Amino acid sequence: MAVTRKTSPAMPEPEGEVCIPINVSEQVEFCFARGWTDGLPVVPATRELVDDLLEAGGLETDTVIAEMPSRKVSVTAEKVAINGVMAGCKPEYMPVLTAAVKALAAPEFGLHHVASALAGPTIMVLVNGPIASRLGINATNNVFGPGARANATIGRAVRLVLHNCLKYRPGVSDRATMGMPGKFTCCIAENEEGHPWEPWHVERGFRPEDSTVTLVAASTMIQVWNYGDHEQLLRAIGDALSFLGSIAILGQTPGAVVLGGEHAELLRASGWSKQRIREFVVKHTGRSIADLKRTGRLDGAITAADETAMHYAMDTPEDLMLVCAGSPIGALSMVLPGFGSSKTAGRSPTVLIQEP
Amino acid sequence: MLEKEGVPAVPVITDAFESTAREMAELWGVPEFRFVMMPHPLASLAGGDIERRAEELIAKVLGLLQGGQKE
Repeated sequence: MAVTRKTSPAMPEPEGEVCIPINVSEQVEFCFARGWTDGLPVVPATRELVDDLLEAGGLETDTVIAEMPSRKVSVTAEKVAINGVMAGCKPEYMPVLTAAVKALAAPEFGLHHVASALAGPTIMVLVNGPIASRLGINATNNVFGPGARANATIGRAVRLVLHNCLKYRPGVSDRATMGMPGKFTCCIAENEEGHPWEPWHVERGFRPEDSTVTLVAASTMIQVWNYGDHEQLLRAIGDALSFLGSIAILGQTPGAVVLGGEHAELLRASGWSKQRIREFVVKHTGRSIADLKRTGRLDGAITAADETAMHYAMDTPEDLMLVCAGSPIGALSMVLPGFGSSKTAGRSPTVLIQEP
Repeated sequence: MLEKEGVPAVPVITDAFESTAREMAELWGVPEFRFVMMPHPLASLAGGDIERRAEELIAKVLGLLQGGQKE
């Protein structure tokens, strides 16, 4: 493999015969030309920047973070660091990235379906624990929107790993018909300050002082605006989880709700536990057989009995993930209906973030 | 994977996914891997149509099952 180098920091793993550009704008165009980006410019991954991430993660270049047998790839620490640099991550984000890649590899997540399906979902990266505030991962205002470097770049790094290491490229292995804006990036922290109940990772059996990553594949995201009382709100959330176009409705796949500030407060004031909330919501994810037939979700002529016979988009309260994030101002929450046709697909285990 | 384990296997795909299947075959080091293709889509077919589609494909499936991946 012949490499012609100008005097500039070398790009890790050049392929074939390349001439490495010397100035930043040429390096940016080089990355575009190699198909390494998500359509936005990436930060050129120089040896020095990659080593900074590796050092911050306490990792050697060829430490295997995750095996992906279905993609014939071992994702090494160096690969994660390269994509982290390209995404614009700071070195201290590296432990979050490695935990996210481990979560991608978990069999329960069903990565291949998530990454290649026609209904290409957003992969939400949920961060819990004290690392979130330490790294500046936003848990409040505009939590799903732009503005916070950690959120924007961590989510983006996960997408770049999918794109570059795992070769899920749009149009080839990623066949999403529409795609989702969240495929560019989607990373949030749970708002654990003044949490009405216990945060997600504590519910999963971790200590409050642990930090974790959980991946949630969301076929779509529905912003629910509601000024009703707590039962009225939960009915609206049930409705969003069971909309007639939801891919998850017949398979009863797990869904998630991110409760925004005023909604979290309303539910805290109700005195209801998470379990009671889950049970109520799940009971309100019903759609009539008649409506399912009217929209072609079920076959057959509509009978009178169909108008009152119900199918529930969710049947198991424990399947409903409840987390709190978003601004304390505004009666808004984000509902993430399920993805996939099995009970576990689309939600990773909660993975401990290991810091050096 | 099944073929590697000695279990005869016939992948059946819809034609919309030919490029994806070919990419997967290349990734697995078997770029000439043969599969059976049918018109897209499948998911929207009703019961009777699915049976008719299966009947149309059976000869190709059997051919690949019996002949294997060799030419």
